[in-house]
Amino acid sequence: MAHFAEIVFIALMLSSTYILIAVGFTLFFGAIDIVQFAHGDVAMLGAFVAIILYGLAEATGMTRVLPMVVWVAGVIFFTLIITGALGVLFERVVVKPFRKAPLLMVLVATVALGIIIRESVRLFYPEGSNPQVFPKLFPQASFQVGSLYFRAEHLMIFGISLLLIVGMMVFINKTKIGLAIRAISQNIEAASLMGINPDVTIMITFFAGSLLAGIAGVLTGTYFNVVKFDIGLMGGIKGFSAAVVGGLGNFNGAILGGLTLGVVETFASAYIPGGTAYKDVYAFIIVIFFLVFKPSGLLGERVYDKV
Amino acid sequence: MKKGPAGLLLLLFLESLFFALVLVFLVVEEIIPILAVILGTVVLSFVLVKYERLNAFLQDLFSHYRKTAVAWGLIFVLALPFILHDSPYLIHLLFLSGLFAVLAIGLDFQVGSTHLVNFATAADYGVGAYTAALLAVNFGWSFWIILPLSGLAAALFGFLLGLPTMKTKTYYLSLVTIAVGLIIYLLLNNLSWTGGSDGIAGIPYPTIGGFSLGNSVRLFGMELPFQANFYYLVLGILFLEFVVARRLYQSKIGLAWNAIRDDEIAAACQGIDVTGSKIMAFYTNAFFDGLAGAIYAFNVGFIAPENFAFMLSVIVVTMVIIGGMGNVTGVIFGAVIMTLIPEKFQVVQSYRLWLFALIIIIMLLARPKGLFPQKTRQYA
Repeated sequence: MAHFAEIVFIALMLSSTYILIAVGFTLFFGAIDIVQFAHGDVAMLGAFVAIILYGLAEATGMTRVLPMVVWVAGVIFFTLIITGALGVLFERVVVKPFRKAPLLMVLVATVALGIIIRESVRLFYPEGSNPQVFPKLFPQASFQVGSLYFRAEHLMIFGISLLLIVGMMVFINKTKIGLAIRAISQNIEAASLMGINPDVTIMITFFAGSLLAGIAGVLTGTYFNVVKFDIGLMGGIKGFSAAVVGGLGNFNGAILGGLTLGVVETFASAYIPGGTAYKDVYAFIIVIFFLVFKPSGLLGERVYDKV
Repeated sequence: MKKGPAGLLLLLFLESLFFALVLVFLVVEEIIPILAVILGTVVLSFVLVKYERLNAFLQDLFSHYRKTAVAWGLIFVLALPFILHDSPYLIHLLFLSGLFAVLAIGLDFQVGSTHLVNFATAADYGVGAYTAALLAVNFGWSFWIILPLSGLAAALFGFLLGLPTMKTKTYYLSLVTIAVGLIIYLLLNNLSWTGGSDGIAGIPYPTIGGFSLGNSVRLFGMELPFQANFYYLVLGILFLEFVVARRLYQSKIGLAWNAIRDDEIAAACQGIDVTGSKIMAFYTNAFFDGLAGAIYAFNVGFIAPENFAFMLSVIVVTMVIIGGMGNVTGVIFGAVIMTLIPEKFQVVQSYRLWLFALIIIIMLLARPKGLFPQKTRQYA
């Protein structure tokens, strides 16, 4: 079943971009109990930031002077930093003012923010309403293992995702800042009594989450070779869905949820006749199923309402 | 305040002034006066909140002469097509405003009164429109049979959507409605019997006793373009919905919705049927969305999945928030203004969504309760 192995690999790649976005949703929800509905559009921004940085690198001749590894690493590094910073900016402007307001406010405000980001790219990026060719950041080689074909690009996507997801896990679970993030997610007042600055910690959380979304955008661009201003809408909903399926607020849950969605979609496209057109329908049915029968998700804790 | 001719005159003067402004807004094409009208509205809304005595005085005036005020308003609204009879496009815009007002009031049953942010308006609307189009094109049924059927089909859909949604709250609820909206959109795009992405064409104009609503009418010596027929049709539905909304809000159901909005658990402890009330908000909304969808389908004669995309839901949410959640008149105002502004600024047509979103965020930051917020309930 060579074919089967390839499908599994595609499912893993798709899952990893979902996971990268889902982790952001889970981090934000864990920290301050909000859902940033524009998070998918932050991922789309990541892809466009990378295109612009690549353009800069090319214009200044760096792509010819420096070895490929160096400038690609540079482009990716600055994409991460810039997307992370944008995520923090969005939190300051659109999320923070509503921290004590009814949930409805932040929900509608972030949906509106998503539209602003999307439309800004469409209107102000040159030819923004058309799909943009994504630069080839990774070697184009392909090779064969047994009867399986792999493309170097795809292995890189998978490798980078894995590295970042594991890195983020270590960051959250092993470092002092990660401890602060976990502390405010348990009890923000108690955490600030212990000398944790909640504002700074929330900003770090948004930086970390948005950075992962940015790389998800870059990887999606690499996989499809094109990006468009509206990919964030579906990407965000899928990422949020993945986080919910896994259990919103639970880091491991985001990983499990991303895997579930990626596998369902890929296998539906591959094995159900005419499934490609309906792959998103299957994914959303799974999500609704979870929301209705297990709203706490695969790994989330059951939350009881208190007066 | 005592009743007297002075008060009555003042009321009629103020109302006429408002109508004159609306007309200016409709007819004038230059940007400057339009901007002035918009700015004036915003300033007025701030003044009313800032100076409570003025606000109270005006409210007093209106409640004293409620019947006169409503009658004068109705005359104006009914007379609009006559005033604008040589510009069919403006009448068409008014028709669209009415359609969106129907959607917005419907959504307000949920967003405004219960804080359920439902992003499935486009789906309800689409179910209504497709039901109407399929019945009309495949079976050739009359519009007047199809209209209530479309409403019922959408209500059934809203009820079915409500069932699983009731188990969720806040963000999760919004996610379910977004997901269902996308599923409907994807299905409409891919199913063969809905015409796929090509949609359905060739929906005939409705007829009344052999007279097609697609023909112009001569009335009082004036030639009314056919758009006026649809304007009056949607006005009828809007009136029906307005009455239903007012009655619901002032009944125990409206009170229950507000109680759920303020604190769901407390509401449940008071013996309010939380699930039943919420589901009712869902299918009442869907029913009117379905009616609006059917009217839209019969008006344009051609529908495609693109007319029922996610963005439509977001726009209707915007209208509710801008107008003032929970205030029926405010929501109508929001719907009308949000339909007309982008049409007025043809130059900025492509910036429409961008502007909408920016306005939402500014509104939420500056005036979280909308331009004309819901009044605090009063019990005499």
